[in-house]
Amino acid sequence: MFLAKRILVLLLFVLPVKYGLGQSAATPPTVIELKVLPGLQYDVARFTVKPGAAVKLNFTNTDDMSHNLLITKPGARVNVVNAALALEEKGPAMNYVPKSADVLWSIPVVSPDQTRSLSFKAPSKAGAYPYVCTFPGHGFVMYGVMYVSPDGKMPDLKTDPNIPPSRQEDQVAAAGSHDMHNQHDMHKMPEPKKVTASHPYTPVAPYLYRIFMEDAGPAAIAVSLPQELSYCWDAGLCRLRYAWKGGFVDNTGIWKGHADAVAKIVGTIFYREITTSPLRIGKADEIPVTDYKGYRLINKYPEFHYTLNGTDVYELILPKADGKGLIRKFRIPDARKTVWLACAVNNESETYEASSGVWEKDKLKLSPQQARDFSVTITSYPLVYNKKRR
Amino acid sequence: MRSVSINRAAVLLLFLASVFSVKGQEAYTVETITMPEGLTSETGGIDFLPDGRLVACFIRGEVMIYDPAAKHWSIFADGLHEPLGIMAVSNAELVVMQRPELTRVKDTDGDGRADVYEKLTDDFGLSGNYHEFNYGPARDKKGNLFIALNTASPGGSVNQELRGRFNPFGRDLQQGLYEMYSVVPYRGWVMKLTPDGKLHPYASGMRSPNGLGFDLEGNLFVTDNQSDWVETSTLYHVEEGKFYGHPASLVWNKDWKGKSPLALPVKELDAMRTKAAVLFPQGIMANSPSQPLCDATGGKFGPFAGQLFVGEMNRDRIVRVMLEKVQGQLQGACIPFLDGHGLRKGNNRLAFAPDGSLWTGQIAYGWSGDIGIQRIVFNARAPMDVYTMKLSHDGFELTFTQPVNKAEASNPDNYKFRHYFYKYQRKVKHEGADNTMQQDLQEVPVTGISISADQKKVSLKLGALKPGYVYELKLGGITSNEGTPLANKLICYTLNKLLNPADGNR
Repeated sequence: MFLAKRILVLLLFVLPVKYGLGQSAATPPTVIELKVLPGLQYDVARFTVKPGAAVKLNFTNTDDMSHNLLITKPGARVNVVNAALALEEKGPAMNYVPKSADVLWSIPVVSPDQTRSLSFKAPSKAGAYPYVCTFPGHGFVMYGVMYVSPDGKMPDLKTDPNIPPSRQEDQVAAAGSHDMHNQHDMHKMPEPKKVTASHPYTPVAPYLYRIFMEDAGPAAIAVSLPQELSYCWDAGLCRLRYAWKGGFVDNTGIWKGHADAVAKIVGTIFYREITTSPLRIGKADEIPVTDYKGYRLINKYPEFHYTLNGTDVYELILPKADGKGLIRKFRIPDARKTVWLACAVNNESETYEASSGVWEKDKLKLSPQQARDFSVTITSYPLVYNKKRR
Repeated sequence: MRSVSINRAAVLLLFLASVFSVKGQEAYTVETITMPEGLTSETGGIDFLPDGRLVACFIRGEVMIYDPAAKHWSIFADGLHEPLGIMAVSNAELVVMQRPELTRVKDTDGDGRADVYEKLTDDFGLSGNYHEFNYGPARDKKGNLFIALNTASPGGSVNQELRGRFNPFGRDLQQGLYEMYSVVPYRGWVMKLTPDGKLHPYASGMRSPNGLGFDLEGNLFVTDNQSDWVETSTLYHVEEGKFYGHPASLVWNKDWKGKSPLALPVKELDAMRTKAAVLFPQGIMANSPSQPLCDATGGKFGPFAGQLFVGEMNRDRIVRVMLEKVQGQLQGACIPFLDGHGLRKGNNRLAFAPDGSLWTGQIAYGWSGDIGIQRIVFNARAPMDVYTMKLSHDGFELTFTQPVNKAEASNPDNYKFRHYFYKYQRKVKHEGADNTMQQDLQEVPVTGISISADQKKVSLKLGALKPGYVYELKLGGITSNEGTPLANKLICYTLNKLLNPADGNR
């Protein structure tokens, strides 16, 4: 989205500086500003100039890699890219610009933060003139098109065959995703947003992604449950971090690669675990050493396995049947000592029900026998009372 | 004007003739595997199960199994975090390298879907920086597993919540803003997981080590990608305790004193480092080499048994590496193995199928590349290629896969040598991350040629050789005795050590 906005802004910037017909010596040239986006892309994927116009192209390399820029004859981009590759050992000294009649103009390799300009007279023949970076490996993805056209018209962006496919998608994505990232605010309970995950199967809850999440350590696990419930479990700290209602996660940013990103929560967080190490064995006031072991799928639900000071713990999280909360099931087959589970019972918006044990203030106290198999059901009142709002 | 057009016509005719004459007798052909619908086939790892099926993992977390006989895909596991390596243990058990850990993935109830995801090790740091990729595993003969941990990118940041102890000395914030960094444990290291479950730091100095593999003798090789401190991409022969050049990782040396290794004098670092066995000249041979895979097919895949194949991400190429031991150290040459022929870019992972075909898993992931899986089939027709390039006292000895045409092979115009070296240095601010300078680039004349009686060996005399240089050879129009043209003509020898002048022993 950010990308798309930038393109639009730049296009707006470029359009007003184009000049009309009747180029004369005194007419200032059409100025095109080109920069580089991360992921091997020119920031402007296309622009138009009039036939025969004087053009000044300022190319600023805003990337951390080196790039050149070649303008080719219509339809000659791939040939030129291949000719640059065929230079092999001669490439570096030639700035990867092949000697070819297909290359109309070129800017040699530009280092990061440097600007090089190119002035030329646009072809008199209307057409789509590609521009491309022929640095090895860049040519098949890093390109755009200069439309030479008397009326400044360009084809529909979504289907423009002369720009990289990713740039067509950017525009489409930008159009439909303004409301994708909901506020994490209990006062608004928006419609759950369905994110179409691209997999060779249709994911059906329960399923999970190990993925970078907000407000979690880097070994996070996002689990989608039935009832439009989801939670984030932290395999670094061996505990639940938060749970939300709505859609699941939007991984678009992460899956693009080549940039920092987290999975975006789709929905509204209704629960956050605020206690560090809520589960303790033996001493209630001592933070145990945790070690994550893995998980086993039970009816497709992950049952996490970890140790607290060397004692095995198994944790399974299920949706409450009415969708208004979570059921946390624990198994500690060999606790040997008293087990404590801290819960935010003072939080008026939640209730906690334990299958066994006794409450001592905000902690559930269980005997080793009881700790072999117990559960705590969390009901979230906002989920009970809040209606879906548009 | 007229002569030009005639020349062009002649060239075109020759081109057409070569296309048609070669057609049908190619040594290798490339086939494209049809991928399942809905899969974004950014391939992180491939391997073969004992039953001959392919197993592959993909960036969005899927592990898929492909039955080559039935051409059928099935899902085995899902939800993994950016898996970039896979190793089959049995038909129902795999080891997968994912972002947070090395994981054993098992199907315990026999329904063909994994149900147990067991941590093998997560004893390394994570900062959340996108570039902290994890690679491997590669297994040695004793059952140890080797993985490699990428450094973090200056183009990315560090999360508030980390895993592992934060050490700010792994980055130089004064002058090192364009360098990869290591601020959580063992980024930039090759690690060894012993069967007792302990992860040991093994070797340091890696920048972006996207590929590990063993040769038939049990030598471990790791590739590294060109940029800061790595002037051109490398193949390292990795041995325990050694440092291979990118300084950030040094901060996790056991006895490291509190200062940034990135600010050490280059001379000091240079004296500590072990040089690459093979350099891949940037922009010429490979820009992003990936996994090295030893040809263990014993001839099923052609004449290169025991040599290494290395994937290249940036173009439609797989590179071949031939090594020799000189003064006790491995060094050698690289040459394109296959360019084009329908091969795509993004060649990230390689594996040999039981039938001896070479499979390549492809990735782009925001960089240049392609996605999908292809296989390269040897057609049991001997290729005409350079089999080995070996150092001699005054030049190089080329062995070809077939006897060469004597007249062509005797012509010095058919051997264009250049030499150059790459500086071990810190990147300066305004230099492109993938920009490289060849130093002291000079042509080197061939002063003598001799051809063996069987016409397979050509000895080239160059005179005094310079250690520390790459000797790049561009071969001309040399054909086999039967007229088959050379499949590949550009070969680069990394000359670290000269032959011992005293006894001539290697």
